[in-house]
Amino acid sequence: MDIPNQQNAAPEEDLVASEYLTFRLGDEEYAIDILKVQEIRGYEPPTAIAYAPPFIKGVINLRGIIVPIVDLRIKFGLGTVEYTPFTVVIILNVAQRVIGIVVDSVSDVTSLTGGQIRQAPDFSASFDTKYILGLASIEQRMLIVTDIERLMSSRDMELIDDAAAQ
Amino acid sequence: MTIDMSQFYQVFFEETAEHLAEMESLLLGLDIGAPDDEQLNAIFRAAHSIKGSSGTFGFTDLAEVTHVLENLLDRIRKHELALRNDMVDAFLEAGDTLKAMLAAHQGGEPVAADAVSRVCGNLRALTRNEAAAVPPAPAAAEPPVVAESVVPPGVATAYDLEFLPTVEAGADAEALDNLLRELAGLGEVEVIERPAASTPGLWRLRLRTAAPREGFEDLLEFVAERDAWRVTEVAGEVVDADGAFGLFAPAEPVPAEAAYGFFEPLAAEPAPVVAEAGDGFGFFEPLPVPATSDEAPPAVPVAEEGDGYGLFAPLPEAAVPVAPPPEPETAPTAAPPADSRPRAKPAAAGAAAAESASIRVSVERADQLINLVGELVITQAMLLQCANQMNDAAPEALLNGLAQLERNTRGLQEAVMSIRMMPISFVFSRFPRVVRDLSSKLGKQVELKMSGESTELDKGLIERIADPLTHLIRNSLDHGIESPEKRLTAGKSPTGTITLKAAHQGGNIVIEVGDDGAGLNRQRILAKARERGFQVSEQMSDQDVWALIFEAGFSTADVVTDVSGRGVGMDVVRRNIQAMGGRIEIESMTGIGTRMTVRLPLTLAILDGMSVAVGEHTYILPLSYVVESLQPAAGDVKTLSNQGRVIQVRGDYLPIVPLHELFRVPGAESDFTRGIMIVLDADGAKAALFVDALVGQHQVVIKSLEQNYRRVPGISGATIMGDGRVAMILDVSALIDAARTTQAAAAVPA
Repeated sequence: MDIPNQQNAAPEEDLVASEYLTFRLGDEEYAIDILKVQEIRGYEPPTAIAYAPPFIKGVINLRGIIVPIVDLRIKFGLGTVEYTPFTVVIILNVAQRVIGIVVDSVSDVTSLTGGQIRQAPDFSASFDTKYILGLASIEQRMLIVTDIERLMSSRDMELIDDAAAQ
Repeated sequence: MTIDMSQFYQVFFEETAEHLAEMESLLLGLDIGAPDDEQLNAIFRAAHSIKGSSGTFGFTDLAEVTHVLENLLDRIRKHELALRNDMVDAFLEAGDTLKAMLAAHQGGEPVAADAVSRVCGNLRALTRNEAAAVPPAPAAAEPPVVAESVVPPGVATAYDLEFLPTVEAGADAEALDNLLRELAGLGEVEVIERPAASTPGLWRLRLRTAAPREGFEDLLEFVAERDAWRVTEVAGEVVDADGAFGLFAPAEPVPAEAAYGFFEPLAAEPAPVVAEAGDGFGFFEPLPVPATSDEAPPAVPVAEEGDGYGLFAPLPEAAVPVAPPPEPETAPTAAPPADSRPRAKPAAAGAAAAESASIRVSVERADQLINLVGELVITQAMLLQCANQMNDAAPEALLNGLAQLERNTRGLQEAVMSIRMMPISFVFSRFPRVVRDLSSKLGKQVELKMSGESTELDKGLIERIADPLTHLIRNSLDHGIESPEKRLTAGKSPTGTITLKAAHQGGNIVIEVGDDGAGLNRQRILAKARERGFQVSEQMSDQDVWALIFEAGFSTADVVTDVSGRGVGMDVVRRNIQAMGGRIEIESMTGIGTRMTVRLPLTLAILDGMSVAVGEHTYILPLSYVVESLQPAAGDVKTLSNQGRVIQVRGDYLPIVPLHELFRVPGAESDFTRGIMIVLDADGAKAALFVDALVGQHQVVIKSLEQNYRRVPGISGATIMGDGRVAMILDVSALIDAARTTQAAAAVPA
């Protein structure tokens, strides 16, 4: 996958800052590349799809496009799964697809330089560490910098036909 | 010319491909014994257009081949030669070569030069051989040639020969030496001007001979393009060779200029050009008044070969000042002043009609339009729903306006969809050729009957159906139709028939490929299947046995030919057709024939649907599958070996597909007597779908679910309902299949 901003943290790139959108899942705070985010919108009940795993809530009509909605809280077993008018859906544009993810809340947009992102220790987080690009800390908060594109196109997410999935 | 021609290349490619296709279909439609003049003219026009435009765009290789083709065609058209089957073959072959060359220019495989020269040689041979064999020599068919009227046979006449060798000939010194030797055999040759060896340039020869001019004109054809050579009779040695062209001559010998027809002031003025042995495009040809030739001044270009399309290359001196190329496309202003021949007119009319009949629009633009209309349909449905929710509070004007909007939207939608619709003849038109070539290769006599060519279907489908259909036809020809001897022993006519039919049927396009051949051999298929390790039994129904031929690696042909028999075809055919949302069925009777029926959806974008409710969900059923719906009474539903459930509808026992169980929908009606059974028919396979309620009937825009998600079994797509919510479109045939295979699983309470 081509993630030039974060992955190849060459020394001079350590100073180049990229923007990240941070969101909360339970007590954990995640950061994803803001360029993968198309928009943020409120939750609306999706249309359920037969044979879908529980964390795929269904599909919604996003201005004429059929967009699947994944509840990351269910997928990772974090936070309280309830749907209120304040429940947030982040619409992502990854791997030439449009996918919506449900999270607890969106925190803010943060600038992180390559140098601020540290290697994650190699133990099991709530999901496979291969989707974690690193950890960053800002004002005592720890951000889990996530390769959202790789995560969403992974087989675990069951969003893509097996043949196309990695 | 500084205009960048490349911007027009795409148009050229498309047009030329169309002309080639037209030429081919006309050739195939020709009655060899008594060819229709109008058809011959049409073929000629197509060839001529190709030649003209390829010359204009600088594709000289195309122009060259077309030119040779045109020569032969022209003579057939003028009844100088009788049309023969081998000529049609040669034309078709030349057409193929042109297609390949066209593909090469579009970035395809380059065409082997020897193939091109073989085709050209073939055509030339046909043109020439017949010229010798058929008594009226080419020029004699035209008004009498001045050479013959003025110079008695046997008296040596001086001719000026000028030509610009083709690239190949120019590079081949031997070819030119040969020419000189052969000309020397005819008379006295004097080389006036020759370019340095192996460099392109103009040759000028003077030949004094008693031989008829046709003899050496043919020789020139070998080394030079038709438009790139010229033979001028020199009336007396005093005349300057240049003067023969008239163009640079003083005002006195005006008629030479008039020979171009173009600048002729008055139609009535007798034109001194006598032999127009060229393509006779009619247009600019002066009145054929042979009488005037005697009075003509000496320096008269006697033979004006070619159609003056010389502008683009050949004779530098002569060409430059000549007015625009006399072709209908490029010289529309040149009204034929001296033209009294009717045959030129269809050419002009044809060209004009083709220009105004259609416009070229890129597929993306059309698709964008279709998408926008799709959105409009959804918006309109939303508005309508809003108004309905207002009940009586909605002002009447609003309701009227909405009703009007609905009508207009529907009309717009149909109109826009029709942009993508194309008649299936686009595909069918290639099959006469396929059948013709293959049947002669296989030594079979086959007649192709087509009907329903005007049936329209989506452009996307047209493109994808071509290969599977070609395969089916080849298969019918190779395996279906027997050899003439076998047919005679079987008491059939020696000529087999392949029928190709297209028709609308419900929401489908049905394409049938039938033959009156031997039919499929059940025993052989079964034997082969066993050999390949398939699970088969003698009890299998014919339908199931026939379906075996669609399995990968299955071929019952005894001999593997290059036509078929490798067994890599039918499984691909079935896969391609299924990928288009269609299906294929086989019917066959031993000794009577085989019929393959391909069913395709009409379009991939919009369908008429019936919405049904299951629990809180709404699903869309394609209306074309719905036969009827009924509310079962208690006891109507029976269990079968305590697993599957069936319901009796008009004597048939149909398997029940409870949608809520299949899709595990919570909160749905599970009491059969309180819901609705919808009888579905997917190509003969019937089932009863159990749902909670019928909701309504809509036209829905099909949205891809796979674009952002993955394939879901039993669901063919999604759509957006009037309230903006997403509803799933059911894949009826998959549901019926699922009912058969998972009946047991589904029967277990979910």
